[in-house]
Parts: sequence; structure tokens; C-alpha cells
Amino acid sequence: MIFGLEFPPLSHIVDWPVFLFEDTAFGINKVVLVYFAAIILTVLVFVLGNQRKLVPTGAQNLAESSVNFIEDGIIMQSMGPRGLKWAPLLTAMFFFIFFNNIFEVIPGVQMPGTARIALPMFLAIFVWFVFNIAGMIEHGPIGYLKHSLIPPGVPVGLLPIIVPIEFVSNFLVRPFSLMVRLFANLLAGHILLVTFAVLTAALWTTEWYAVFLPLPLFAVIFFVAFEILVSFLQAYVFTLLTAVYIDSATSHEH
Amino acid sequence: MRRITRLLLIAALGVAALVGTAAPAGAVGESVEGCTIEAVQEMLEGKEGLEPGTPEYEAISEETEEAVADCIEAPNVLLPEINEVIWGGIGFLVVLFFMMKFGFPAAKKAMTDRTAKIQGDLDAAEQAKADAEAVKADYESKVAEAKAEAGRIIEEARQDADRLRADQQARLNEELTAARTQAQADIDAAKGQAMSELRGEVATIAIGAAESVVGANLDRDAQTRLIEDYINRVQAAPSGNGQG
Amino acid sequence: MILAEITDTGLAALTYGIGALGPGIGIGYLVGQAVQAMARQPEAAGMVRTTMFLGIAFVEALALIGFVVFFLGQA
Repeated sequence: MIFGLEFPPLSHIVDWPVFLFEDTAFGINKVVLVYFAAIILTVLVFVLGNQRKLVPTGAQNLAESSVNFIEDGIIMQSMGPRGLKWAPLLTAMFFFIFFNNIFEVIPGVQMPGTARIALPMFLAIFVWFVFNIAGMIEHGPIGYLKHSLIPPGVPVGLLPIIVPIEFVSNFLVRPFSLMVRLFANLLAGHILLVTFAVLTAALWTTEWYAVFLPLPLFAVIFFVAFEILVSFLQAYVFTLLTAVYIDSATSHEH
Repeated sequence: MRRITRLLLIAALGVAALVGTAAPAGAVGESVEGCTIEAVQEMLEGKEGLEPGTPEYEAISEETEEAVADCIEAPNVLLPEINEVIWGGIGFLVVLFFMMKFGFPAAKKAMTDRTAKIQGDLDAAEQAKADAEAVKADYESKVAEAKAEAGRIIEEARQDADRLRADQQARLNEELTAARTQAQADIDAAKGQAMSELRGEVATIAIGAAESVVGANLDRDAQTRLIEDYINRVQAAPSGNGQG
Repeated sequence: MILAEITDTGLAALTYGIGALGPGIGIGYLVGQAVQAMARQPEAAGMVRTTMFLGIAFVEALALIGFVVFFLGQA
């Protein structure tokens, strides 16, 4: 035999069969169920948190401290007080992404909804529309183009070089990097977990090489903790970057 | 409120159960659409014992190759599935709508309400403290007033007593003086009367003595001696004699 | 499938490994400088941390593009 590991093809790790409404565009597979669970959890946090008790406990604590976190940790750090009106959008974004991410380590699910490119792509395009429209409302369409394409203090001779660079970086790279960052982080984490889980399962034998079992086992435990951190961090970074993009589109100074 | 919570919890549990029972992908032995390494291996095992070149052998080989090709030609992970885009988009928009309409304003309102309530309570406590302090100050001022009043009353009483004593002293002194003056006047009056009586007596006596002198015709020495005798007699005589 | 076979996949994986070098160095340098800044000015730690995460996100994007190219190369 080949002393190797039977490993599923990478593209199959996150490929899930549609088991409901198979032949329509609304097919439901496991990833869609993860989306639903994320919606319900987000709603649940804020419905349970809406208790109006003077001394907050449980879900109320979570809801209120997260509102604080979004306002003080993200908006005030990146946009300042004038960004506070974006707090509901950013809160929704943070929670939806975070709950989608955290299903990566929930036993029995073990699949982040954001490890498929569909959701990150939708969110990135959504953010692209949000910051462009916000900028156009703030500066007017022509003013917004001028604001985002021509940095102040650039000599006219350099404009033919600067404008395409600015265009690519502001309108193409931003949504693409948002999408790829979220998707690739979560997919990489999922592959890591699968790799070490498969390795652990393969070493679960009575052969002599079972002595190596602790290594992938501890790696799985470590990476589960690491992926919890990554889940939080990616939701935070996505929300923070959304705030920064909206800020740079609507700011009046550079 | 509680019914909504319960319904949401039931829905979450249902979704979790569905998710949990969905076929795990990527685990050893099971994969999607019948594409597994083990399935291919089983097919390959079917070839054992067959001669290469026989139709069965070729058929199994072809089947295996097709399965392997299916495996490799799985959809690329970079291509979005349309159903996931649709559901993910709808899901995010639902969350966004919920958050903008209910979740965020409610949480925010709860927090601002709490801030206002705590601020109000603190202000009320401050007010109550100020009130209590005012009452205490009032009470203390009253106590001080009462103390001052008592001191004043005592002082007044003492002054009254002093004055009374001084008055009595003065009246006593006055009476004494008056009595003394009266006595002196009495004495003086008595003395004056006695003197005038004596003077009359003396004159009478002198007239008598002169009569006797003139009557007896005595010499100077005898006259003088007579007068002196007389005076001495008068002096030595008891006062009762003055009138005799 | 056997890992570490010299195939297109193996080449793609190697490409990703090389592509991860630069961002690795970059993130290390970035976080080190951020920690220095926080140690020197603890009162500015919040701002430094936010900026650090932004910088990490931008640098990390390069490595992740390498990761995606790995999948492109595989297809």
C-alpha cells in the first residue's frame, strides 16, 4: 500500500448537496441552513437582549456590550462621531458574519457559511454599493468621482498615472480584497481543521503509528481555539474596513 | 415577548437539528455525489482477479476513470452557487432590516434610558442629600438659637438678680443714711434745744448770780470765785438740774 | 489523492508558500512596530490597535490572494 493519506479533493470539502428545492434557484443546502441559523441567532440576541432591565444580564449584556463595541471600538476609531448613523448597518454586518463564521467550530455543523464565496461576494458587493452611493449623496456624482480619483496636491502631469491607480484601488481592489479576505480566511481555517481531523481519524488505529495520534489531536484542539479567534477577527476586520471605506467616501478632507 | 423568544428558540433548534443531520462532507469515506476515494478503491478492487484486456476489466477501468474525473472536476470553490448568493443576500437583508428597525434602536434606547435613569437617580440622591443637609443646618441653627436664648435668659436673670441686689443694697444704704441723718438731726435738734435751754438757764442763773453778787457786794476776787463756783456747780450739776 | 506530488496542484501549493513569505514578514514587522508604539504610548493603544488591524488586513490580503491563486491553479 501507499503510505499516504486518503484526503478528499479540496473542492469537495466545502461542496454541499442541495437537498430541498433541488431544481430551482432557491435550493437549500447545509450552507443555507447555516445562514438561517446565523439570522436566527442574531435576531435572538437582540430580542432576548431587549429586556430593559436596569442591571443587564445574559443576552441583554451581550447585546448592549456589542452595541458599545460597534460604536466605540469600530465607528469612533475609524469614522468619528459623524459615523454613528451607520451603527445599525455595521452591527447587522458584524453579527451576521460572526455567527456565520463561528459555525466553523460548532460541533455537528463545522461549516462556516462564509467559507463559500457566495456570501462574502454578496456582502462585498453590497458594501461597494453602500460606500459609493453614500459618497455620491455626500459629494454629488461628479464631485464623488473627483474626490475618490484625484488625491489633493498631485501635479497635473502625474494625473494620467494616478487616476487609473486610484480607480483600480478604490473601485476594484476594495470589494475584491474584502471578499477574498473573508472567504479565504474561513476556507483556509476550514481546510486546516479538516486536514487535522482527517489525520487524527487516520491515526485512530491499532497500528504502531498510532503513537503519533496526539500530535494532530492537539493541533485540532489548538486550531479550534485559533479559529474562534479568526472568526471574531474577520467579522471585526470586515466591519472595520466597511466603516473605513464609507468614511473615506464621505469625508471632506483627505 | 416570551412567546416570540420560544418560537425563535424552537426555530433555532430545528435549524441546528437539520444542519446536524445533513451529510458531513470532507470526512473520510463520505463525500458528495458518490465521489469518494473509497468508492474508487472499491471499483479498483473489483478489477482484482480479472485478466487485463477482458471486457469486464475495461468496463471497470472506464467506470473508475469517469469517477475519478468526476471527483477532480468538482465545481471550483471560487465560483459562487446561485442559491447560496440568493439565500445569503436575503438573509443579510433580513438581518439588516431587523437591526435597523428593531434590534439596534431597542438596544440603544435601553442603554440611553438606563443612562438617563441612573443619572436621574444620582441627581435625586444628590437632591435628597442636599435636602437632608439643609434640614440638618436648620436644626443646628435652631439648636444654636435655643442655646443662645437660654444663655441670654440666664444672663438676664443674673443681671436682674444683680440689679435687684444692687437696688436693695442702695435702698438699704439710703435708709441707713436717712436713719443716720434723722438721728443726727434729732441729736442736733436736741442739742440745739438743750443749748438754747441751757443758754436761757445760764442767763437766768447769771442774772441770779448777778443779783446775788450785786446783793452781797462782794469784791472782785469774791465775784470771780463766785461766778466760777457757779459755773462749776452748773457744770457738775446733773442735767436735770438745768431746768431747776 | 497523495499530497506533495509534483503536479499542478503541488506547484500551486508551492506558489502559495512562496506568496505567503512576504506577507508573513510584513505582518511580523507591522505587529512588532505596533507593540512598540503601544508600549511607548499606552494611552494611544486603542488607535494603534485599530490601525494595526487595518494594516494586517491589507497585508494579509496578499497572502490570501496567493491562497486563491492556489485554487485557480488547481482548476
